[in-house]
Amino acid sequence: MGQVHAGDAFTPQERYDIDKAIRDAETVSRYEFSVFVGASEGETRPFAERLHATLTAPERSVLVMVDPAARILEIVTGSEVHRDLEDGEVDLAALSMQSAFAAGDLVGGITRGLMMLAEHARRPRMLHADG
Amino acid sequence: MSDLDAAVVRRSLRALILTPAALAPLVAAPAFAAPPEAWPDAEATSALDYLLVLLVIPLGLALVIALLASVPSMVRGEKYTPGQAWRNENEWFGGPKDGLEAADQTDVKAVEAGEADRGGASARW
Repeated sequence: MGQVHAGDAFTPQERYDIDKAIRDAETVSRYEFSVFVGASEGETRPFAERLHATLTAPERSVLVMVDPAARILEIVTGSEVHRDLEDGEVDLAALSMQSAFAAGDLVGGITRGLMMLAEHARRPRMLHADG
Repeated sequence: MSDLDAAVVRRSLRALILTPAALAPLVAAPAFAAPPEAWPDAEATSALDYLLVLLVIPLGLALVIALLASVPSMVRGEKYTPGQAWRNENEWFGGPKDGLEAADQTDVKAVEAGEADRGGASARW
C-alpha cells in the first residue's frame, strides 16, 4: 500500500502482524489477500465489492472489509477463489473473526480469520494425478 | 385426618418454630462489658488515623489494582473497544497504491463483471 498513516488505528507492531498474516495467507493458499479497515462509503456490500474489483487480480483475490464503527464484516472472494473456497467456509472464518471483534480484539480477529480463509482456500494436493 | 387439617397443622408448626427465631435478634440486647482492669488503657485514636485506615489505604489499594489491571492493554496500545466510535483513518492492507481513490475510479462494469461467480460472507458483531 502507499503511504502509511503512522499512529492512527494500529501500532507498528499490529500493522506488521496484519501484513505478515496477509503474506502467510498468500503463501499458504497461492491467492491474493487484502484487508480494508475503515468506514464504508454507502452500503457495505456493494462498497466491499467495489474495493474487491479495484484489486489487481480480482478473480484471484480475497477482500476482507472490517468496519469497526458500524461493526460490519464483509468478505468478498473472486470467481477463481470461490471455486476452492466455498461460502460455508468463508462463513466459518467470519464467525471466528466476529467473536474476536466482539471481544475487542481487532488485530487478532483479522490475523486468525486470514489464516482460516487461507487454510480452506488451499487446494488439496493431487496425489494420483498421473495414475 | 383430612388434607385441610394436615395443611393447617403444618402451617401452625412452621409458625411456631419460626417466630422465636425471628424475635430473638430483636429481643437480644447487645453484650456490654467493661474491659478488665488488668488491660492497659488503649491509646486514643485520632480522626486522622481513622481516615488513613478506613479511606486512604483502601482507596490507594483500589487505585493500584485498577492500574495493574489496565497495564497490559496500555502496553499493547489497544485502542479499539466494541461499541466505541472508530475515529481513525481508513487502512487498506494489500490494496492498490492509490487506496480508496482507486476504488472511486473503478467503473461499475468491472464490479458487475465479477458478479456471477463471486462469493463471500457478511457478518455483524
